Amino acid sequence: MTEFKKLGALVSRNIKCYFKDKFLFFVSLITPLILLVLYVTFLRGVYLDSFNGIFKAYGFELKDNRILEGLAGSWLLSSILAVSSVTVAICSNSVMVNDKIENSLNDFLTTPVKGTTLSISYFIANFIVTLLVMLAVLAVGFIYLAAVGWYLTFSSVCMILLDIICSVLFGTLLAGVVESFISSQGGVSAVSTLVSSMYGFICGAYMPLSQFADGMRNVICCLPGTHGVGILRNHFMNDYVDKLMSLGLSQSGANSLKDGFDCNLTFGGKFNQIAYEGGTQIPVWAMYVILLGACALLLAAYISIVFVKNKRKS
Amino acid sequence: MIIEIENLKKSFKEVKAVDDLSFSVKEGELFAFLGVNGAGKSTTINIISGILKRDGGKVLVCGEDISVAPEKVKNKIGVVFQNSVLDKRLSAYDNLKSRAAMYGIFGEKFSLRLKELNDLLDLNDILKRPLVKLSGGQKRRIDIARALIHEPELLILDEPTTGLDPKTRQVVWNVIEKYRKERGLTVLLTTHYMEESAVADNVVIIDGGKKVAAGTPHELKKKYASDFIRFYNNLDKAEKVLTPLGYELRRERDFMEAELKGTDVIAGLIKKFPEIFDDFEVLKGNMDNVFLKVTGKDIREV
Repeated sequence: MTEFKKLGALVSRNIKCYFKDKFLFFVSLITPLILLVLYVTFLRGVYLDSFNGIFKAYGFELKDNRILEGLAGSWLLSSILAVSSVTVAICSNSVMVNDKIENSLNDFLTTPVKGTTLSISYFIANFIVTLLVMLAVLAVGFIYLAAVGWYLTFSSVCMILLDIICSVLFGTLLAGVVESFISSQGGVSAVSTLVSSMYGFICGAYMPLSQFADGMRNVICCLPGTHGVGILRNHFMNDYVDKLMSLGLSQSGANSLKDGFDCNLTFGGKFNQIAYEGGTQIPVWAMYVILLGACALLLAAYISIVFVKNKRKS
Repeated sequence: MIIEIENLKKSFKEVKAVDDLSFSVKEGELFAFLGVNGAGKSTTINIISGILKRDGGKVLVCGEDISVAPEKVKNKIGVVFQNSVLDKRLSAYDNLKSRAAMYGIFGEKFSLRLKELNDLLDLNDILKRPLVKLSGGQKRRIDIARALIHEPELLILDEPTTGLDPKTRQVVWNVIEKYRKERGLTVLLTTHYMEESAVADNVVIIDGGKKVAAGTPHELKKKYASDFIRFYNNLDKAEKVLTPLGYELRRERDFMEAELKGTDVIAGLIKKFPEIFDDFEVLKGNMDNVFLKVTGKDIREV
């Protein structure tokens, strides 16, 4: 019982340390928002053109521009949220690294608190902080969608919240494992820079996977982060696609839209400019299984690291 | 004995940080642990307080082996680190609250303990302020409060007054002394200020991870430190008289100093050469001299 109370005190302390560092909080929050602004400013038009291209190919004429704008916004938001769940987690986990750099960890090691309690506290605090930042970004995203065209149902909003929790869990565990080996500010900067620049591409968030070479697409399909993007894509875009179908878009046109913009993640096969030919489509439930399976593996790795470190110290 | 260390060994790759070190600390005493930077003091302290694992030897704190019963030992130790390790952006109150929780001190128990520490260290004005906005002395008071939050039996002070002005140093020492006398606290101190070690009950000096001297300050001074005579006038005359007698002289701008082989020779010298003794003083050997003699290094310069 006391160890739980200690854990609670540590989590509270870690969260306070994060929010008291105004710069860190500001950077964590502003980065996804900047991405949103950049996306909307520079890429919105590209996606609107792509959607119109698919509609044209299937002889569908859309009169309500709000659906189109909302669809583009949904795609952009799902990308940003999926990427940010990892980049924000890496950035906000700096409390753990700072404790090593500033020797606060040594102070805790002189207390009777267990090493595992200490490690779990970093993970829980980072999960809460990242989730709060992501919810703030989601709120801004929803305001944007409401402004340009809101067609999300309540159940989709609930699923999006669940997706964010799963993605944040993945991001937090990944940050915990990677940053366990870092004990300098330079190390944190290096990892943040690497992840920020690479992760969006290797999880298919910055560009639809259909645009990648087939081999590369298959490799990316094997990475768990891709499935974090996939679940968000589905729950953000499905309501818009349904609305388009109710307005007359054919089933094959809807499938093409889902194929081209990663709602239908497909392993193998070939993308023929408009839809996948062959290959295995990965269902949404399988995306959850892969993402949560990766979380379980990362958790096992995190526990092993904590165990080995504690053994070395004791 | 509150600390018993026998044949302690710790290496970092090829470097032997602590090499076969043995010493013990009695309950209630102020024990000074001296050595230049890199001598192995902090490594030893980190092993005693459970931060580092030893390679060999025996370390008992309050009769318990820290590797066997870490929680029991850690409940009895408080550490003031060389540099403050508390959270700079959090308030002093939040820092103390989070650290107290690690010892199972919550709620009313914490409030009562905080009140006691407040009475001892006068924390009222600084409790709500973030550490980053406190002066060096104020931070030190919070560090001490943190180390005493769980009423430890052993307080480890790792260069607690380094970087503090003389007045704040005195305030810090007054607090520690008061608490030590009231509660019978044992204090293990490392310091660069030799005058602080001079008031210790026992001293151990280490060099290159090995013990090179041990004893009470008086014993050490008697064994290793010489007294000095300092002349402020008639320097040339004094040089002419003392050089043939085998005295090594050190001449500065305003004075000349000679190391004495025992204080009893002064009376003889004054009687024999009264003309050189019209402005002089006799300086007792101090812990600086002991340290210099034992390690061959000046602690302030290394």
